[in-house]
Amino acid sequence: MCLEFGGALDVRAVLEFVDSGRDLVIAADGSASDLIRDIATECGVDFDEDSEAVVIDHTSYAVLDGEGDHSLIASDEFIQSDVILGSKKIEAPVLFKGIGHTLNAANSLVLKVLSASPSAYSTNPETELSSPPSLTGAAISLVSVVQARNNARILISGSLDLFSNRFFRWGVQKAGSLEKDSWKILVSDYRHAKSGNEQFVTELSKWVFHEKGHLKAVNVRHHKVGEVTEPAMYRIKDDLEYSVEIYEWTGNSWEPYVSNDVQVQFYMMSPYVLKNLSTDQKGMYSTSFKVPDVYGVFQFKVEYHRLGYTSLSLSKQIPVRPFRHNEYDRFITTAFPYYGASFSTMAGFFIFTFVYLYSK
Amino acid sequence: FFYLVRVGHPINYYLQFVTRFYIHFTAEQVVYMAIVGSFPFNSFLSGVLSCVGTAVLAVCLRIQVNKENKEFKDLPPERAFADFVLCNMVLHLVIMNFLG
Repeated sequence: MCLEFGGALDVRAVLEFVDSGRDLVIAADGSASDLIRDIATECGVDFDEDSEAVVIDHTSYAVLDGEGDHSLIASDEFIQSDVILGSKKIEAPVLFKGIGHTLNAANSLVLKVLSASPSAYSTNPETELSSPPSLTGAAISLVSVVQARNNARILISGSLDLFSNRFFRWGVQKAGSLEKDSWKILVSDYRHAKSGNEQFVTELSKWVFHEKGHLKAVNVRHHKVGEVTEPAMYRIKDDLEYSVEIYEWTGNSWEPYVSNDVQVQFYMMSPYVLKNLSTDQKGMYSTSFKVPDVYGVFQFKVEYHRLGYTSLSLSKQIPVRPFRHNEYDRFITTAFPYYGASFSTMAGFFIFTFVYLYSK
Repeated sequence: FFYLVRVGHPINYYLQFVTRFYIHFTAEQVVYMAIVGSFPFNSFLSGVLSCVGTAVLAVCLRIQVNKENKEFKDLPPERAFADFVLCNMVLHLVIMNFLG
């Protein structure tokens, strides 16, 4: 088994490439070397350990299969995300022939983009099955993506033929769809003239190479209501405004990103204020709130992690001071008894002097 | 009503009234502070000290004016009263400043 690609390219070099923030597409099939499997494992995806295994599905295979062992499968279990797969629904299933992989359930950075149907399993088609296969059902992922914490994106596919012109052009008829939909009258439901491969691959590659779903946040500003400059320090119970601009890259320009669930936190050990930012539809998000009654060093934090989008983690530190001596209310309501007592002693003293001097 | 204790000279009557009333008032303020919390602590202190201070000065005046008291036999009562007035002025000046 080859241990390097040739030259200086090995597992470590590829991983450094990803760590530097760049994107990667890995496609493997049954003849994949250990090197490719290692890279995939480092990215969070585990290919089937048996190097002869392919994914077989006896109810979701494509009827144009030439070999008859149902290893050419047609899958339409897509991830529900307009960002990753485009807003236009992929009508036809995607043809797939190759190996399957699983994802670690504890890994939050890996997503299954195309998964196998519940009746699929991964095994060597040449030999008889002596024990139940280890990879079965919807746990098998056929194509997955990883978005790393530095926003590098990796596409991992278990089939090289998925990307081939052959699969792009073929029509798809899913076996078993006749029985499933036999009560339907429309013919077009189960016989598609063109597979969904081309649309699937095009949209997915746009996403992997950051032409979709790539956000940037600029111009973080905060100031007191009514002012324009950013103060170095806030006082408790001040009214302040916070604004940020978020744009999305569309492949040739930055368009304003429109969403209504971006939130800002006023944070010191735990968020004291958590508010939704309202947008003006042109990429400017702003809100205003009152500084809480606690002093210390706070941070304005925006943590925005959504499926398919780059994660935004902005934070800006600002201290908050208590009232100065002359910023309190002039007459404090809770102190009225004390005011009353002091003035009554003075009045008492005054009256007493009169009584003392003028009584016999 | 324990403020009104008749002890001969009407001055004593008034002075006892003043002393006892203001000590009662102090106790009330401390209880109020225990309930509400000591937020404007300077106001609390000035209220309490004004009551305690006037009570103490009234007691001093009463001691110095009382003719049966051997220590202050040579002290003219007018001088005692002048001291009383002066000390009260200073006390109330401080109170007003500290009230905040």
